[in-house]
Amino acid sequence: MRGTRPVTAYALAAVGLLLLGAGSFWGLFVAPAETYMGDVQRIMYVHVPTAWNAMLAFTFAFGCALAFLFQGSWKWDCRLEAAMEVGVVLSALLCAQGAVWAKPTWGVWWDWDPRLTTTAVLVFAFAGILALRTFVDDPARRGTWSAVAAIVAYIDVPIVYFSVKWWNSLHQQPSSPATVSSAFHWPLRINAFGILFLMIALITLRSRLAALRLQGELAPPLPAAAGGSGLAGAGAMR
Amino acid sequence: MSGMGVIEGGWEFVWTAYGISAAVLLGYAASLVRRLRSVQARPLREAGRASDVL
Repeated sequence: MRGTRPVTAYALAAVGLLLLGAGSFWGLFVAPAETYMGDVQRIMYVHVPTAWNAMLAFTFAFGCALAFLFQGSWKWDCRLEAAMEVGVVLSALLCAQGAVWAKPTWGVWWDWDPRLTTTAVLVFAFAGILALRTFVDDPARRGTWSAVAAIVAYIDVPIVYFSVKWWNSLHQQPSSPATVSSAFHWPLRINAFGILFLMIALITLRSRLAALRLQGELAPPLPAAAGGSGLAGAGAMR
Repeated sequence: MSGMGVIEGGWEFVWTAYGISAAVLLGYAASLVRRLRSVQARPLREAGRASDVL
């Protein structure tokens, strides 16, 4: 992300929103209704791409956590914080979309089905880590603890994915362009890339925000207070 | 519902799902831009070396 300027993130967000608009239009007005679920199936075009990208955000967070622990560079801590927050937003949205889909298809807004339960655990686990970060003042401890916690929480991601295979789940098997009719491919793919671009933009902006805040924490004391113990300032910016 | 295993109608659920998605994604993006501008408006001593971190 070195050298990435906000304008790049804004451009990526614009492309993502354009793709999302096109894919959603296609899914809502062009693609045919599904044989059994009818028009309700159109929710899939936004629900499934959200799921893919939420898992991708947490996977990136997992990579950032490992990189921070092994390299100790603050940029990975900033990216970790950003990826976790965007992942939580996407997975919470995923749960809301799923509830709206569940009502007409299952007859209930929520069920303690393995897929839904493990996804809820994922949301609360990473939201908890973000909450933990706000309570730790020391940036080094905060980075290390949240990186370790993120690695532990990431164990739930493959469990979410395989939950519909391992247990008798009310939730259907994972959808992909290979498992759905070709009539439904394009809106699914376009929206997947739309959310992907938007997600990259959001992580970039959120990472920059985390970096600016960290910069304030690590900045050397004002000249009048110079000589205090404080953090090492620029020396700590690895 | 037709009672034959086929769901009829349901557009209100479709619009709700897309509406929630748009509200959450755009709302989060807007909050992020607002927070970023707020932090960038702070004194340079605090915000000046962000590129070193990024």
